Amino acid sequence: YEALHTFELQAPTRVIEWARGSRICVAGYGPSGGNEILQLLPPPTLQAKETQGLCPERDFKVECGGFSNRPVYSLKHVPDTSLLVTSGPPDSSLQVWQVSAEDSDVIKSVSAISTENGLGQPWAKIAATSARAPWILHGSRLNNVQITEVESKKNVYVAASRSSEELSDVAFLDCSTLLVCCAKGQLCLADTRQPQSPLEATTVPSAPCGLRWCMGVKHGPPGSDSSSQPVARLSSTGHLTLTDLRKVSEPLAWAKCSVSCPSSSAEFLSISWAPALEGCVAVSGFDGTVHVYETRSWDGSGKEAEPLFVHKGHAFGGLDGSEGPPVVTAHTWHPQKPRTLLSAASDGSLHIWDWVESRGSC
Amino acid sequence: LSSVSLGAGAGQDVGRSCILVSIAGKNVMLDCGMHMGYNDDRRFPDFSYITQNGRLTDFLDCVIISHFHLDHCGALPYFSEMVGYDGPIYMTHPTKAICPILLEDYRKITVDKKGETNFFTSQMIKDCMKKVVAVHLHQTVQVDEELEIKAYYAGHVLGAAMFQIKVGCESVVYTGDYNMTPDRHLGAAWIDKCRPDLLISESTYATTIRDSKRCRERDFLKKVHETVERGGKVLIPVFALGRAQELCILLETFWERMNLKAPIYFSTGLTEKANHYYKLFITWTNQKIRKTFVQRNMFEFKHIKAFDRAYADNPGPMVVFATPGMLHAGQSLQIFRKWAGNEKNMVIMPGYCVQGTVGHKILSGQRKLEMEGRQILEVKMQVEYMSFSAHADAKGIMQLIRQAEPRNVLLVHGEAKKMEFLKQKIEQEFHVNCYMPANGETTTIFTNPSIPVDISLGLLKRETAIGLLPDAKKPKLMHGTLIMKDNSFRLVSSEQALKELGLTEHQLRFTCRVHIQDPRKEHETGLRVYNHLKAILKDYSVQHLPDGSITVESILIQATAHSEDQGTKVLLVSWTYQDEELGSYLTSLLKKGLPQSTA
Repeated sequence: YEALHTFELQAPTRVIEWARGSRICVAGYGPSGGNEILQLLPPPTLQAKETQGLCPERDFKVECGGFSNRPVYSLKHVPDTSLLVTSGPPDSSLQVWQVSAEDSDVIKSVSAISTENGLGQPWAKIAATSARAPWILHGSRLNNVQITEVESKKNVYVAASRSSEELSDVAFLDCSTLLVCCAKGQLCLADTRQPQSPLEATTVPSAPCGLRWCMGVKHGPPGSDSSSQPVARLSSTGHLTLTDLRKVSEPLAWAKCSVSCPSSSAEFLSISWAPALEGCVAVSGFDGTVHVYETRSWDGSGKEAEPLFVHKGHAFGGLDGSEGPPVVTAHTWHPQKPRTLLSAASDGSLHIWDWVESRGSC
Repeated sequence: LSSVSLGAGAGQDVGRSCILVSIAGKNVMLDCGMHMGYNDDRRFPDFSYITQNGRLTDFLDCVIISHFHLDHCGALPYFSEMVGYDGPIYMTHPTKAICPILLEDYRKITVDKKGETNFFTSQMIKDCMKKVVAVHLHQTVQVDEELEIKAYYAGHVLGAAMFQIKVGCESVVYTGDYNMTPDRHLGAAWIDKCRPDLLISESTYATTIRDSKRCRERDFLKKVHETVERGGKVLIPVFALGRAQELCILLETFWERMNLKAPIYFSTGLTEKANHYYKLFITWTNQKIRKTFVQRNMFEFKHIKAFDRAYADNPGPMVVFATPGMLHAGQSLQIFRKWAGNEKNMVIMPGYCVQGTVGHKILSGQRKLEMEGRQILEVKMQVEYMSFSAHADAKGIMQLIRQAEPRNVLLVHGEAKKMEFLKQKIEQEFHVNCYMPANGETTTIFTNPSIPVDISLGLLKRETAIGLLPDAKKPKLMHGTLIMKDNSFRLVSSEQALKELGLTEHQLRFTCRVHIQDPRKEHETGLRVYNHLKAILKDYSVQHLPDGSITVESILIQATAHSEDQGTKVLLVSWTYQDEELGSYLTSLLKKGLPQSTA
């Protein structure tokens, strides 16, 4: 490691989201309420150009906190605002929160965005953009995908689809194109300028690949064509596929992660592209590790890929083995520092780590 | 009523601690710290605030000092000798041993180096310490007949304690600085479920999530290793206790594992002092240290040797631990001067440095220092700071509250705006009030004291004789009179109360008139009423008296003629206050009228 910082949150989180001013937000997902949403100011070491070792300020500061009755399964920051949107069981509605760090340190609940027939639906997957106005893309199934304007709570787009396929991820490719990934693996594109047009689905990779898929979308520099970036999908059996959205019929590449046991619940599966490293993805959710892969060397063969780096820190947590070894619940890349990631696990641990270029652990 | 007055010190000010508590008529001062950031009188609390004209010795029942850090005890000699206080000062044994050393050091820096005048003298420190009464952990100390205090282990530094202050059934717990996670040489704070009316807790680190110790240590070792690898020298100024041991153990293990050859030295003055204190206060360190100390001498390390002044000039890499900790004098300063000019070298400051010391200056970024004789020292060596000091974070505060179960919580040492969330968190989870007063603000906490009441034997016997046996789970209603006299409370029967107080009992009697249409004679109406009531009120004793009146239990009913209307009869229903219920019932019954057919 170049640098490693480990922290312990009071309650485990399954979201790590970057917010305004280099803050990160985490939130509890306990089923019985009393969950806290925290906005944390990362230690200055994370903001410095070169990593410092013995800097006196090595701690996270809890800047603001709020209380949520529901477990928070997804949390997104609405860009250019001080609003956060969360979702979680028992239905597919969203909760909107206001963070006002200057006057008080309490994150207040401001409103809720409910969906028609939302009760009993799985929790909503969320994406946010402020390109035209603060919009939230959300949905739990293909037939309830919609874009809602945060302030007015009016829907600016509703996808026309009859399918009740469950979703695992949604994303804005740009302000008029959205991409959703179904739990079974299909990708669907839609153009918001053509409301009511049905979503086109791509095919699922044919090989038996387990029950659940999730996706990772890379955002290029502003102004570039997002659809030129490959979309990565990860299955619960550890299969990874890259797809070029302009040529959806054949996958760009195929590989398998070197995970020891396929995840059965697939609840925390996550794959994401490095914002500052060409062609690298991070994968987590199978166990207490986070893998980083270099995808440019992959081909279509589907053979097992060697990770560039494996972060094992969380596996050594698990103080009382009563709940089993900890599982990494979320990870995220630092937007500027190329090899810095943050990861959280089910035992409440939160790590910031930065690996050394050459192979081998420290 | 317990009121806390945050005077002159803590509350919202992170610089120093000094809290005044008024509990059931007793006044206690908690800590007497000085502000580390100021150079003038602002560093001392403003004691005139406490009592305008009275003498502090008369006003205060005692002073309690939680631990030896200057922001908790730095103003004590000023307070007791220059402002004037002759009452008892309580602190733990290690605190009593270490305080004077730190105070003297601090005095030397301020007066000798900076030439300040209005400051306490060495003699004042000595005189102040004579007023100190040392206490043991968990020992209940009787300050006077009503006030008692008890110290609990607080972790944080050697000798740090949390104090419980109790007067009758009201109590306050003051935490001072504490830590809920054990480290290499100190345990974690602990308190029993004492359920104080108020818990005063520090909250400096409440909004912090601390980096794990292992990471800090890892980085420390990395820095030392890098410096030594390139041939540089590492200076680690330490105060004699605590952290020095930890760092030694750390380096020793690392050197062994990595098979490093560079020498590590420990200055002898340090060894003696540290050994001395550890022997005295072995019970204050944690289990591991105690074991190692018993098995061998703390400072018999394989790789760490005693230092000799001459070694500082030896070429090649080395690591040296030297006192004093802030580089303000003595050996550590000497070594620093020798090594400062070489950029391959490194100095690692392991703790806070008081303003005015070389340590403080270099940590603030100063690289050209003026030494004695106007010599300028250029500092090219690397300066690193590493804090191992342990404070409770939000999680720790919640843990302590869970352990003690206070009825109210008061947070000091934090910033109000940034603690709203924690306040809500505490209030939601524990359903207690949480206060965050500002410096100088008085907070009043209302308590619910239990007042014992004696019940007279006669009353008790009577109540048990009357009715059902007392059931432990059901409350039983009883009537009595509460007499409050001379701080005693007694519950007695009404008769006894009247007798004791010399009052005569008054009877209260109600009379109600009920009009009935009945043209017959009074006597016959009376008979009708009698028969009617007898038929209905089968469970009651209904009597027809010779004079024509009817009694139902003790209620009297008489039939009289209406003065103006022959056809109407007036029934007078009369009852005492005790028979209110039956009286009302009879009245409403009679108002309904009498049945037509009677004999």
